[in-house]
Parts: sequence; structure tokens; C-alpha cells
Amino acid sequence: MLEPIVRFFSAQPPAVLPYYVAGAVVFSVLLIFVLINLPSRMRKPLIALVTFLAGLFYAAEFFLPIDKTTQKNVLTDYLVPASKLGSLLGGMTLTLGILSLLRVHGRNIARLRAGWYNSLALLVAMVAMVVFGLMDSYSANATAKKVFNVLFEGMLINMDATMFSLIAFYIVSASYRAFRIRSIEATILMITAFLVMLGQVPVGNALTAWLPTEGWLASLRVENIKQWILSQVNAAALRAIAFGLGVGGLAISLRIWLSLERGAYFEKEI
Amino acid sequence: MQHAFEKIEPVLIVEVLTAIIIIWRIISAQRGKELFIRRIPGLNAIDEAIGRATEMGRPVLMVPGIGGFSIIALQALSIFSYIARSTARFGNRILMPVADATVYTVAEEVIRDAYQSEGHPERFDPDSIRFLSDRQFAFASGVAGLIQREQIASSFMFGEFFAESLIFAETGNMVGAIQVAGTVQTTQIPFFIAACDYTIIGDEYYAASAYISRNPTMLGSLVGQDFGKLLIVSLCVIGSVAATLVALNVPTLSSASKWLIDLFTIR
Repeated sequence: MLEPIVRFFSAQPPAVLPYYVAGAVVFSVLLIFVLINLPSRMRKPLIALVTFLAGLFYAAEFFLPIDKTTQKNVLTDYLVPASKLGSLLGGMTLTLGILSLLRVHGRNIARLRAGWYNSLALLVAMVAMVVFGLMDSYSANATAKKVFNVLFEGMLINMDATMFSLIAFYIVSASYRAFRIRSIEATILMITAFLVMLGQVPVGNALTAWLPTEGWLASLRVENIKQWILSQVNAAALRAIAFGLGVGGLAISLRIWLSLERGAYFEKEI
Repeated sequence: MQHAFEKIEPVLIVEVLTAIIIIWRIISAQRGKELFIRRIPGLNAIDEAIGRATEMGRPVLMVPGIGGFSIIALQALSIFSYIARSTARFGNRILMPVADATVYTVAEEVIRDAYQSEGHPERFDPDSIRFLSDRQFAFASGVAGLIQREQIASSFMFGEFFAESLIFAETGNMVGAIQVAGTVQTTQIPFFIAACDYTIIGDEYYAASAYISRNPTMLGSLVGQDFGKLLIVSLCVIGSVAATLVALNVPTLSSASKWLIDLFTIR
């Protein structure tokens, strides 16, 4: 019954793709125009209805019985088109994000504010990445591919790695403060962390290598103490947190699905 | 794609039961039932941190993490809405770097609404909410740069954080900012505990909006959550007892215990 919808959202041949893009743009503009001009008293129930239907689709897809052979139910085939709608919305909002960057940094450059050259570097880098990225994907120009390679592999990946490596130094300074023995809790934390760290390195394991590998004395080997801390004490605490998070996520999902969450964003209860 | 009737019927049973309990508590709270929430120090510290920024005349930083538009981001925005209302009252400057374009558009509206609801729409600066980058470490370096340049007085980090959490928290610590953080990522909680002044752990994250707004719907939902947790803890205890009875092979009870274990086993 809904087969045409699935076909509509499937990959289209290049010949008709521009018509689909143009149609999507016109539809989006019309939809936004209608939404903006709707009176507030109508806009809120409309948002509540769309939210409810969207949530109901995913809940029904999860809960409806499935055909054991295909592992699908009547709604499973429409999951991909639904997720594509989400991607479309994401693509539209990305434009707003880029406009924000252009507004903030364009103003810095225009008014020659302190550090304006950093803003210029950011905008030049952004434009260069977009241009050479598109050329890399859609053009056969070898120079463009080389430039994109230098920008992406030579610069961006390395700068990412540099930021990531900073974490090692930050861990040292943060753990120094956290492990200072100021209270009973901090002392327990320090001893536990010390045992886990010892259990992770060969030199730690070597300290208790003389203990037997079988029998009750084996429990005192550093690697076994580490394993006990991680699998018994730590895992139990993490599962307790995970239960709380799961139930909390369910509660807030219900509030949003049934539009009870309005109090947080619109000040008024419905 | 997972389905409830494929392998995980117990999930269906527990989820539906918990959902019914939560909705029941929300309805009773909306009808005026008085509810109590325990004190959460991290959330009490929000006002203290905003007050400090006001005294120092330095900006307040709010980071909603690098996750996409989800329940977690919505909860973060709900907390930031409360913070923005306070900063609107006191005339603080805010900075809100965002890594996801969808979160950015919603955040702008939520913060604008907060300023309007306080009667100070003229104090809202659209440039205070900035989309930096959707790449993890590009965003991290952007936020670290903002913290250093603007010498922020208070930093609030709520949302989905990954390896970049420590970069934010340690940079904030270096400039002497008072920091309150909360995340659902259990791997990042230790970093926040080590580097921040206050950390909101586990489901306290979802309790935050109820705690600070005292909104009956949210309070009811929070109490419903606690009943849901009680249900899960009860199942854990019953499951442990049933597994023990099966292991001990108690004649009269082991078949009933086996049935119970089968019912709640995820295949």
C-alpha cells in the first residue's frame, strides 16, 4: 500500500534527480511558509500531533509482531525513508550553522576586531575544504585531489591527533588533583586506581607472579584483584547508573512523545 | 533491526510497566499531589556559579556536548534554559558553542525564549550561541580557545561528551572557572569528577529539569522514574533468589523459579 512512498525515497537516476531536488526545495519553502504563518494556538497542537505520530511510528515498528522468515513487520520497510527525512532536516539546519559561522567571523573581519586574522583563516579553510572536497568527489582534476589530500590527510587529521594527544597531559593534571589523599573516599579511590593500573601493566603482574595460579592464594595476584574490581565492584556500579539512565531516558521520551514536556520550553503546562 | 517480539519480550513487559507507572505519577502530580525530591548539590551550585560570574563580570559558558539532536540534548537545553533565565535577570554575558547544527537552531530558540520570558529580549545576543564545528576535536579546540580568550567565570557542561570532555574541564579549571557538569556517558563521568567542582551522575541528569523548575509534570515523572527503578531492583532481587533456588534444586520451588527465569531471559 505504501510502496510508492518507499520508491519515492529510494535512490533516483541522475536524469530525474534535479527535478526531485527542485521539488524538495519548493516543498520545504512552502512548508516553512505555512508553519511561520500559522497562528500560535494552531502551531502547538500541530507540533504535538507530528511528534506523537513520529514517536508512534517508531514505537509501533518496535512492538508489532514480526514475520519470523523476513524478520520484518508491516512498518519495517519504512524505517529508511523515515530516517532520510531526519537527514534532510539535519542538512537544512547545517546551512543555519554555517550562516552562524559566517556571521560571527565575517563581523570580526569587517570590524578588524582583535584576532580578526584567525577568523579569516577559519573562513578561508572552510571554503577551501568545501571546494576541494567537492572537486575530489565530482571532478577528475588530479591537482584538486592532491590539494584535498594535503588539506585532509596532511593537516586536518594531524590537527585532530594533536588535540587528542593533549588529553594525556590533562589526565595527569586532573588525576593528580583527584587522587590527592584528603579524605577516606579519596584514599579508597587512590588505592583502587593504583591496583587497577598495576594490574594493567606487566611490571604490576610480575610483582605477584610468585603466587600460585590455582587455589585461594591466586585471588591475591594483582591481575586477579584488578579483574575483581572491574567485573564485580565497577560493573555493579555502572549497571546501577545504566538502570537509572535507562528509566530516566524512558520518562523524558514519554514526556516529549505525549507533549507533556512543554513546561521546559514554553513555560506553560498543557 | 531489533523488535520486541523477536528476542526481547522481557524488555516489552518492563518498558510498558514502567511507562504506565511514570504516566500515573505524572497525572497524580498534575492533580496537585505534593512530591519531595532530595537535595542534589550539583544543581544547587548552578545559582552559586551564575552569581560568581555576575560578581566577576565575566561570561558564563554552556556546552551541550557533541551529540546530535536527541533526548540527551533536549534535557541539556532544558537546564540551559533555566541558566539563561538567571543570566538574563542578572545581565551576565553567555557563550554557548554548539557542535550539531540541529541542536544549534533549537538552542537559539530556547535561549531567546528564556530572555523573553524574563522580560529582557534586548539582552539576548544571537552571536552568544555559536556553531563551531561538527568534528570532535575541531570543536574541542574551538571551545578551549573560547574559554582561554574570554576567561569565563562559570562553565556548565551538560549533554553527550566523549574524549573531549577532559579538554573542556581542564581548560576551564586553568582559568579558575567554577564548573558544573553532567553527562549520561559513564566513561566520561570520572573525568568530570576529577576536573569539575560539581558533577551530576547517572539519572540525576534527567532529574535536573524537575529539580530546578519544580514543574509538577516533571516532578511526577521523576517520582515515576524512581518507581521504575524500584521495579528493576525488585526484579534483580527476585531473579537472584530464583537463580539460587534453581541452583540449590529445591523441589517445590525450582520449577516456578525456572519459569520466572525463562520469562525474563533475553534470548
